[in-house]
Amino acid sequence: MTETLPAAAAYEKAEQLPADVRAPLRDLILALADSKRVLGLRYSDRMLGSPTLEAGIAASSMAQDEWGHARLTYALLGDFGDDPKALEHERDAAEYRSLDALDAELDGWHGMTAAGLLLDMALTAQYAALVDSRYVPLRNRVQKLLDEEKFHFQYAAAWARRIAQVPELRAGLEAALGRVLPLALRWLGRDEAPGMRRMVEEGVVRDLPSDRRARFLARVGPVLEEIGMADALGVVRDAGEWTCTARTDWSGWDDVARRAGGSLDEATAARARGDLNRALLMD
Amino acid sequence: MKEPVYEVFARKTREEPLRHIGWVNAMDGDLARVYAWKTYDEQNWAEMCVIPRSAILPVDPDESQFVMAGRDEHEDEIVHSRGTGSYGGGDVAVKEGQ
Repeated sequence: MTETLPAAAAYEKAEQLPADVRAPLRDLILALADSKRVLGLRYSDRMLGSPTLEAGIAASSMAQDEWGHARLTYALLGDFGDDPKALEHERDAAEYRSLDALDAELDGWHGMTAAGLLLDMALTAQYAALVDSRYVPLRNRVQKLLDEEKFHFQYAAAWARRIAQVPELRAGLEAALGRVLPLALRWLGRDEAPGMRRMVEEGVVRDLPSDRRARFLARVGPVLEEIGMADALGVVRDAGEWTCTARTDWSGWDDVARRAGGSLDEATAARARGDLNRALLMD
Repeated sequence: MKEPVYEVFARKTREEPLRHIGWVNAMDGDLARVYAWKTYDEQNWAEMCVIPRSAILPVDPDESQFVMAGRDEHEDEIVHSRGTGSYGGGDVAVKEGQ
Protein backbone atom coordinates (compact mmCIF):
# COMPACT_ATOMS: atom_id res chain seq x y z
CA MET A 1 0.00 0.00 0.00
CA THR A 2 1.37 3.34 -0.98
CA GLU A 3 1.49 5.87 1.78
CA THR A 4 0.33 9.30 0.72
CA LEU A 5 2.58 12.03 1.98
CA PRO A 6 0.90 15.20 3.20
CA ALA A 7 1.23 18.09 0.79
CA ALA A 8 3.93 20.53 1.84
CA ALA A 9 2.51 23.67 3.37
CA ALA A 10 2.50 26.80 1.29
CA TYR A 11 4.37 29.90 2.37
CA GLU A 12 1.87 32.74 2.44
CA LYS A 13 4.35 35.33 3.69
CA ALA A 14 8.07 35.83 3.16
CA GLU A 15 8.63 35.87 6.91
CA GLN A 16 7.54 32.21 6.99
CA LEU A 17 10.36 31.21 4.65
CA PRO A 18 13.51 29.74 6.20
CA ALA A 19 16.19 32.44 6.39
CA ASP A 20 18.53 30.55 4.07
CA VAL A 21 15.77 30.54 1.45
CA ARG A 22 14.35 34.01 2.03
CA ALA A 23 17.59 35.84 1.23
CA PRO A 24 18.43 34.11 -2.08
CA LEU A 25 14.78 34.32 -3.16
CA ARG A 26 14.77 38.05 -2.51
CA ASP A 27 17.97 38.35 -4.59
CA LEU A 28 16.45 36.34 -7.41
CA ILE A 29 13.26 38.44 -7.46
CA LEU A 30 15.26 41.68 -7.56
CA ALA A 31 17.42 40.41 -10.43
CA LEU A 32 14.27 39.47 -12.34
CA ALA A 33 12.58 42.81 -11.69
CA ASP A 34 15.63 44.84 -12.72
CA SER A 35 16.12 42.77 -15.86
CA LYS A 36 12.46 43.18 -16.84
CA ARG A 37 12.66 46.92 -16.28
CA VAL A 38 15.73 47.34 -18.48
CA LEU A 39 14.44 44.93 -21.15
CA GLY A 40 11.30 47.06 -21.39
CA LEU A 41 13.45 50.13 -21.94
CA ARG A 42 15.45 48.39 -24.64
CA TYR A 43 12.28 47.22 -26.41
CA SER A 44 10.83 50.72 -26.22
CA ASP A 45 13.88 52.07 -28.04
CA ARG A 46 12.97 49.90 -31.01
CA MET A 47 9.33 51.02 -31.23
CA LEU A 48 10.21 53.61 -33.83
CA GLY A 49 12.02 52.62 -36.98
CA SER A 50 10.68 49.09 -36.88
CA PRO A 51 10.42 47.19 -40.17
CA THR A 52 6.63 47.51 -40.22
CA LEU A 53 4.00 49.49 -38.35
CA GLU A 54 2.65 46.30 -36.80
CA ALA A 55 6.13 45.29 -35.61
CA GLY A 56 6.49 48.69 -33.92
CA ILE A 57 3.09 48.42 -32.25
CA ALA A 58 4.00 44.96 -30.99
CA ALA A 59 7.37 46.21 -29.72
CA SER A 60 5.54 48.98 -27.88
CA SER A 61 3.14 46.49 -26.35
CA MET A 62 5.98 44.17 -25.38
CA ALA A 63 7.78 47.07 -23.71
CA GLN A 64 4.60 47.73 -21.73
CA ASP A 65 4.41 44.05 -20.84
CA GLU A 66 7.97 44.09 -19.56
CA TRP A 67 7.39 47.17 -17.46
CA GLY A 68 4.24 45.61 -16.09
CA HIS A 69 6.16 42.47 -15.23
CA ALA A 70 8.86 44.57 -13.58
CA ARG A 71 6.31 46.50 -11.53
CA LEU A 72 4.60 43.30 -10.45
CA THR A 73 7.94 41.73 -9.54
CA TYR A 74 9.24 44.74 -7.60
CA ALA A 75 5.95 44.78 -5.68
CA LEU A 76 6.68 41.28 -4.39
CA LEU A 77 9.69 42.62 -2.54
CA GLY A 78 7.50 44.60 -0.15
CA ASP A 79 6.83 41.29 1.59
CA PHE A 80 10.59 40.91 2.09
CA GLY A 81 10.91 44.20 3.96
CA ASP A 82 11.97 46.26 0.95
CA ASP A 83 10.33 49.48 -0.18
CA PRO A 84 9.36 48.70 -3.80
CA LYS A 85 9.08 52.39 -4.63
CA ALA A 86 12.63 53.03 -3.44
CA LEU A 87 13.86 50.05 -5.44
CA GLU A 88 12.19 51.42 -8.55
CA HIS A 89 13.07 55.07 -8.20
CA GLU A 90 15.95 55.62 -5.79
CA ARG A 91 18.87 53.41 -6.75
CA ASP A 92 22.14 54.27 -8.45
CA ALA A 93 23.08 52.54 -11.68
CA ALA A 94 25.68 50.37 -9.92
CA GLU A 95 22.94 48.89 -7.71
CA TYR A 96 20.94 47.51 -10.62
CA ARG A 97 21.07 43.74 -10.97
CA SER A 98 19.81 43.65 -14.53
CA LEU A 99 21.01 41.12 -17.04
CA ASP A 100 24.39 42.39 -18.20
CA ALA A 101 23.62 41.62 -21.83
CA LEU A 102 21.13 44.51 -21.56
CA ASP A 103 23.75 47.05 -20.46
CA ALA A 104 24.14 48.09 -24.10
CA GLU A 105 21.35 49.26 -26.38
CA LEU A 106 19.93 46.68 -28.77
CA ASP A 107 21.80 46.94 -32.04
CA GLY A 108 19.10 47.44 -34.65
CA TRP A 109 16.54 44.82 -35.54
CA HIS A 110 19.13 42.04 -35.18
CA GLY A 111 19.66 43.08 -31.59
CA MET A 112 15.93 43.37 -30.97
CA THR A 113 15.37 39.88 -32.32
CA ALA A 114 18.31 38.34 -30.46
CA ALA A 115 17.17 39.95 -27.20
CA GLY A 116 13.62 38.73 -27.72
CA LEU A 117 14.63 35.22 -28.57
CA LEU A 118 17.41 34.66 -26.05
CA LEU A 119 17.31 37.22 -23.25
CA ASP A 120 13.55 37.49 -22.85
CA MET A 121 13.31 33.70 -23.02
CA ALA A 122 16.06 33.23 -20.43
CA LEU A 123 14.04 35.41 -18.07
CA THR A 124 10.94 33.43 -18.98
CA ALA A 125 12.71 30.15 -18.21
CA GLN A 126 13.50 31.52 -14.76
CA TYR A 127 9.93 32.72 -14.17
CA ALA A 128 8.64 29.33 -15.35
CA ALA A 129 10.61 27.73 -12.52
CA LEU A 130 8.49 29.79 -10.12
CA VAL A 131 5.03 29.03 -11.51
CA ASP A 132 4.30 26.34 -8.91
CA SER A 133 6.32 27.88 -6.11
CA ARG A 134 5.33 27.13 -2.53
CA TYR A 135 5.73 30.87 -1.92
CA VAL A 136 2.16 31.83 -2.78
CA PRO A 137 2.53 35.54 -3.70
CA LEU A 138 5.02 34.57 -6.35
CA ARG A 139 3.00 31.67 -7.69
CA ASN A 140 -0.08 33.87 -7.98
CA ARG A 141 1.64 36.36 -10.25
CA VAL A 142 3.68 34.27 -12.62
CA GLN A 143 1.12 32.52 -14.83
CA LYS A 144 -0.27 35.65 -16.47
CA LEU A 145 3.24 36.81 -17.15
CA LEU A 146 4.10 33.51 -18.82
CA ASP A 147 0.96 33.73 -20.94
CA GLU A 148 2.09 37.10 -22.26
CA GLU A 149 5.56 35.82 -22.91
CA LYS A 150 4.22 33.27 -25.41
CA PHE A 151 3.58 36.16 -27.77
CA HIS A 152 7.07 37.55 -27.21
CA PHE A 153 8.53 34.21 -28.21
CA GLN A 154 6.37 33.93 -31.33
CA TYR A 155 7.37 37.45 -32.30
CA ALA A 156 11.09 36.87 -31.85
CA ALA A 157 11.05 33.46 -33.54
CA ALA A 158 9.13 34.81 -36.54
CA TRP A 159 11.52 37.72 -36.95
CA ALA A 160 14.53 35.43 -36.61
CA ARG A 161 13.11 33.29 -39.44
CA ARG A 162 12.46 36.35 -41.55
CA ILE A 163 15.89 37.96 -41.06
CA ALA A 164 17.61 34.62 -41.68
CA GLN A 165 15.98 34.50 -45.13
CA VAL A 166 17.64 37.76 -46.17
CA PRO A 167 21.21 36.97 -47.28
CA GLU A 168 22.64 40.37 -46.43
CA LEU A 169 21.15 40.30 -42.92
CA ARG A 170 21.99 36.73 -41.84
CA ALA A 171 25.49 37.47 -40.61
CA GLY A 172 24.29 40.35 -38.46
CA LEU A 173 21.66 38.21 -36.81
CA GLU A 174 24.09 35.37 -36.20
CA ALA A 175 26.58 37.79 -34.64
CA ALA A 176 23.90 39.28 -32.39
CA LEU A 177 22.73 35.82 -31.29
CA GLY A 178 26.35 34.80 -30.69
CA ARG A 179 26.92 37.83 -28.48
CA VAL A 180 23.95 37.29 -26.20
CA LEU A 181 23.62 33.50 -26.03
CA PRO A 182 26.53 32.96 -23.59
CA LEU A 183 25.22 35.80 -21.42
CA ALA A 184 21.70 34.40 -21.41
CA LEU A 185 22.96 30.95 -20.42
CA ARG A 186 25.18 32.37 -17.71
CA TRP A 187 22.43 34.59 -16.30
CA LEU A 188 20.44 31.49 -15.40
CA GLY A 189 23.04 30.99 -12.69
CA ARG A 190 25.04 28.25 -11.01
CA ASP A 191 23.63 25.19 -9.27
CA GLU A 192 26.19 25.81 -6.51
CA ALA A 193 25.09 29.39 -5.85
CA PRO A 194 24.39 30.00 -2.16
CA GLY A 195 20.84 29.08 -1.33
CA MET A 196 20.06 27.69 -4.78
CA ARG A 197 19.66 24.07 -3.71
CA ARG A 198 17.76 25.11 -0.58
CA MET A 199 15.22 27.02 -2.68
CA VAL A 200 14.64 23.88 -4.72
CA GLU A 201 14.44 21.66 -1.61
CA GLU A 202 11.82 23.97 -0.15
CA GLY A 203 9.79 23.93 -3.37
CA VAL A 204 10.13 27.68 -3.76
CA VAL A 205 11.92 27.24 -7.08
CA ARG A 206 11.12 24.22 -9.21
CA ASP A 207 14.57 23.19 -10.35
CA LEU A 208 18.26 24.04 -10.56
CA PRO A 209 19.87 26.46 -13.03
CA SER A 210 21.27 23.58 -15.10
CA ASP A 211 17.70 22.29 -15.57
CA ARG A 212 16.56 25.77 -16.53
CA ARG A 213 19.34 26.06 -19.09
CA ALA A 214 18.16 22.77 -20.60
CA ARG A 215 14.56 24.00 -20.78
CA PHE A 216 15.67 27.31 -22.24
CA LEU A 217 17.71 25.53 -24.93
CA ALA A 218 14.83 23.17 -25.64
CA ARG A 219 12.70 26.24 -26.37
CA VAL A 220 15.12 28.26 -28.49
CA GLY A 221 17.16 25.40 -29.98
CA PRO A 222 14.55 24.39 -32.57
CA VAL A 223 14.32 27.97 -33.80
CA LEU A 224 18.10 28.27 -34.08
CA GLU A 225 18.18 24.96 -35.92
CA GLU A 226 15.37 26.03 -38.27
CA ILE A 227 17.23 29.20 -39.25
CA GLY A 228 20.45 27.22 -39.74
CA MET A 229 22.45 28.89 -36.98
CA ALA A 230 22.41 26.29 -34.21
CA ASP A 231 25.69 24.65 -35.20
CA ALA A 232 27.53 27.94 -35.46
CA LEU A 233 26.26 28.89 -32.00
CA GLY A 234 27.25 25.53 -30.51
CA VAL A 235 23.64 24.58 -29.80
CA VAL A 236 23.19 20.88 -30.50
CA ARG A 237 20.55 18.23 -30.01
CA ASP A 238 21.92 15.06 -28.49
CA ALA A 239 19.54 12.16 -27.92
CA GLY A 240 16.61 14.54 -27.71
CA GLU A 241 18.34 16.91 -25.27
CA TRP A 242 19.42 20.36 -26.32
CA THR A 243 22.81 21.50 -25.05
CA CYS A 244 25.34 24.22 -25.77
CA THR A 245 28.89 23.10 -26.42
CA ALA A 246 30.35 26.51 -25.58
CA ARG A 247 31.78 26.66 -22.05
CA THR A 248 30.24 29.24 -19.77
CA ASP A 249 32.73 31.80 -18.50
CA TRP A 250 32.08 32.21 -14.79
CA SER A 251 35.09 34.44 -14.11
CA GLY A 252 34.05 37.42 -12.01
CA TRP A 253 30.52 36.05 -11.65
CA ASP A 254 28.56 37.34 -8.66
CA ASP A 255 25.82 34.87 -7.71
CA VAL A 256 23.86 37.50 -5.81
CA ALA A 257 23.88 40.26 -8.43
CA ARG A 258 23.84 37.71 -11.26
CA ARG A 259 26.43 39.75 -13.04
CA ALA A 260 30.12 39.43 -13.88
CA GLY A 261 31.21 42.97 -13.19
CA GLY A 262 30.30 46.07 -15.13
CA SER A 263 27.24 48.13 -14.49
CA LEU A 264 24.22 49.64 -16.10
CA ASP A 265 25.13 53.15 -17.26
CA GLU A 266 23.79 56.11 -15.32
CA ALA A 267 21.76 57.49 -18.25
CA THR A 268 19.84 54.21 -18.63
CA ALA A 269 19.35 53.97 -14.88
CA ALA A 270 17.97 57.52 -14.91
CA ARG A 271 15.39 56.42 -17.48
CA ALA A 272 14.59 53.28 -15.50
CA ARG A 273 14.11 55.37 -12.35
CA GLY A 274 11.97 57.94 -14.15
CA ASP A 275 14.22 60.86 -13.22
CA LEU A 276 12.91 63.11 -15.97
CA ASN A 277 9.51 63.50 -14.34
CA ARG A 278 10.52 62.75 -10.78
CA ALA A 279 8.76 65.90 -9.53
CA LEU A 280 5.48 64.41 -10.72
CA LEU A 281 5.98 61.09 -8.95
CA MET A 282 3.06 60.34 -6.63
CA ASP A 283 2.65 57.92 -3.78
CA MET B 1 8.00 42.00 -50.64
CA LYS B 2 4.31 42.43 -50.04
CA GLU B 3 2.98 41.30 -46.68
CA PRO B 4 -0.30 39.39 -46.72
CA VAL B 5 -3.34 40.78 -44.96
CA TYR B 6 -4.87 38.86 -42.08
CA GLU B 7 -8.39 39.67 -40.95
CA VAL B 8 -8.89 39.73 -37.18
CA PHE B 9 -12.00 38.33 -35.49
CA ALA B 10 -12.76 38.22 -31.79
CA ARG B 11 -15.45 37.70 -29.19
CA LYS B 12 -15.76 38.74 -25.58
CA THR B 13 -17.73 35.77 -24.31
CA ARG B 14 -18.25 32.20 -25.41
CA GLU B 15 -21.89 32.95 -26.25
CA GLU B 16 -21.04 35.92 -28.47
CA PRO B 17 -20.37 35.28 -32.17
CA LEU B 18 -16.94 36.06 -33.55
CA ARG B 19 -16.99 39.49 -35.11
CA HIS B 20 -14.63 41.27 -37.40
CA ILE B 21 -12.57 43.83 -35.49
CA GLY B 22 -9.82 44.77 -37.92
CA TRP B 23 -6.83 43.55 -39.88
CA VAL B 24 -3.05 43.38 -39.75
CA ASN B 25 -0.28 42.98 -42.28
CA ALA B 26 2.03 40.12 -41.35
CA MET B 27 4.59 37.87 -42.97
CA ASP B 28 3.08 34.71 -41.56
CA GLY B 29 0.44 33.34 -39.24
CA ASP B 30 2.67 33.48 -36.16
CA LEU B 31 3.32 37.17 -36.55
CA ALA B 32 -0.30 37.79 -37.48
CA ARG B 33 -1.35 36.26 -34.16
CA VAL B 34 1.07 38.45 -32.23
CA TYR B 35 0.21 41.61 -34.14
CA ALA B 36 -3.52 41.03 -33.77
CA TRP B 37 -3.24 40.41 -30.03
CA LYS B 38 -0.97 43.39 -29.51
CA THR B 39 -2.85 45.78 -31.81
CA TYR B 40 -6.40 45.02 -30.71
CA ASP B 41 -5.74 44.51 -26.99
CA GLU B 42 -7.89 47.36 -25.73
CA GLN B 43 -10.68 44.95 -24.87
CA ASN B 44 -10.66 41.87 -22.73
CA TRP B 45 -11.27 39.34 -25.51
CA ALA B 46 -12.20 35.77 -24.68
CA GLU B 47 -11.02 34.59 -28.08
CA MET B 48 -9.29 36.10 -31.05
CA CYS B 49 -8.61 34.56 -34.45
CA VAL B 50 -6.77 35.66 -37.55
CA ILE B 51 -7.64 34.53 -41.05
CA PRO B 52 -5.59 35.19 -44.17
CA ARG B 53 -7.69 37.46 -46.33
CA SER B 54 -6.78 35.17 -49.23
CA ALA B 55 -8.63 32.32 -47.50
CA ILE B 56 -11.93 34.17 -47.58
CA LEU B 57 -13.95 33.03 -50.56
CA PRO B 58 -16.48 35.62 -51.63
CA VAL B 59 -19.81 34.16 -52.63
CA ASP B 60 -19.95 36.70 -55.44
CA PRO B 61 -16.45 37.95 -56.36
CA ASP B 62 -17.91 40.73 -58.52
CA GLU B 63 -19.63 42.22 -55.51
CA SER B 64 -16.72 41.71 -53.07
CA GLN B 65 -14.31 44.57 -53.72
CA PHE B 66 -13.14 44.52 -50.10
CA VAL B 67 -12.15 40.87 -50.02
CA MET B 68 -10.78 41.00 -53.55
CA ALA B 69 -8.67 44.13 -52.97
CA GLY B 70 -4.95 43.56 -53.19
CA ARG B 71 -5.07 39.89 -54.08
CA ASP B 72 -2.26 38.53 -56.17
CA GLU B 73 -2.72 36.16 -59.09
CA HIS B 74 -2.32 33.07 -56.96
CA GLU B 75 -5.06 34.24 -54.65
CA ASP B 76 -7.28 35.08 -57.59
CA GLU B 77 -6.90 31.53 -58.82
CA ILE B 78 -8.21 30.23 -55.53
CA VAL B 79 -11.12 32.64 -55.43
CA HIS B 80 -12.16 32.06 -59.03
CA SER B 81 -11.71 28.31 -58.99
CA ARG B 82 -14.85 26.44 -59.85
CA GLY B 83 -16.80 25.13 -56.92
CA THR B 84 -16.85 21.39 -56.36
CA GLY B 85 -20.54 21.33 -55.79
CA SER B 86 -19.95 19.07 -52.83
CA TYR B 87 -22.03 21.36 -50.66
CA GLY B 88 -24.62 21.90 -53.32
CA GLY B 89 -23.34 25.29 -54.30
CA GLY B 90 -21.84 24.50 -57.67
CA ASP B 91 -19.79 27.27 -59.22
CA VAL B 92 -20.52 30.32 -57.13
CA ALA B 93 -18.07 32.47 -59.06
CA VAL B 94 -20.02 32.42 -62.31
CA LYS B 95 -23.16 34.47 -62.50
CA GLU B 96 -26.26 33.15 -64.12
CA GLY B 97 -26.44 34.12 -67.75
CA GLN B 98 -22.68 34.62 -68.14
